[in-house]
Amino acid sequence: MTSGNALTIAESRSGAVCVVALSGRIDSTNAEQLMLRLTQLLSAEEKAVLVDFGGVLYLTSAAFRALLVTADEAERNGARFVLCGVVGQVRELFEMGGLLDAFTIHGSYDEALARLG
Amino acid sequence: MLSAALDRFGVEHGVPRESLVDLQVALDEIVSNVIKYAWPEGGTREVSVRMTARKDAVDIEVIDDGEAFNPLSVAPPKRSPGRKPRIGGVGIHMVKQLMDRVEYARTDGRNHMIFTKRCILGVPPPIEEAR
Repeated sequence: MTSGNALTIAESRSGAVCVVALSGRIDSTNAEQLMLRLTQLLSAEEKAVLVDFGGVLYLTSAAFRALLVTADEAERNGARFVLCGVVGQVRELFEMGGLLDAFTIHGSYDEALARLG
Repeated sequence: MLSAALDRFGVEHGVPRESLVDLQVALDEIVSNVIKYAWPEGGTREVSVRMTARKDAVDIEVIDDGEAFNPLSVAPPKRSPGRKPRIGGVGIHMVKQLMDRVEYARTDGRNHMIFTKRCILGVPPPIEEAR
């Protein structure tokens, strides 16, 4: 049943933008794995990272911590770090955590790419 | 895996999907809090989780033998305009919003966190049977 708990991190590229599509659950058991991957991308000189939450079932405060660390790292590296696909229950969780305005969140994947491009 | 156990419990008792997600988030927040703070000296310790399905609610009780600590006493996170958000206290603040009831008790040298989500469990019976 561990597959039910899996977080999938899929990476692709659209021009200069590194797109990270997440699916599954982000909780205390795997948030660090996400943080490591995102900060690695920034260390590898990625200057625009877009994280798509469209496939995420839920996330906990451990995920917010990972995202805040990544956003700080992006700022230090002069990189842009933006989110999209933050909808439904996932959006409600961002709101409850008081973090909806802590990140740059675009309404859709296409809009995010257009803004970053 | 705790979340897998809660998933199975949810399927078994027909917990609505949105309520199950809320319960998963709350359980992760409470248990990860215990693991992080209850046992500063480490060692082999015990945490147990009890899930109870009622007709109109799910109760989850998390019991640990760590130091006495009531997470509900933690002040909600403060946001100052223009300041970066801090994550401390966000988890328990979310639990309070997600659940219909959250209680803490210290009994027999153990911390007990009990949280309840109200929801209708199981598939509603056909109208004939409900009469």
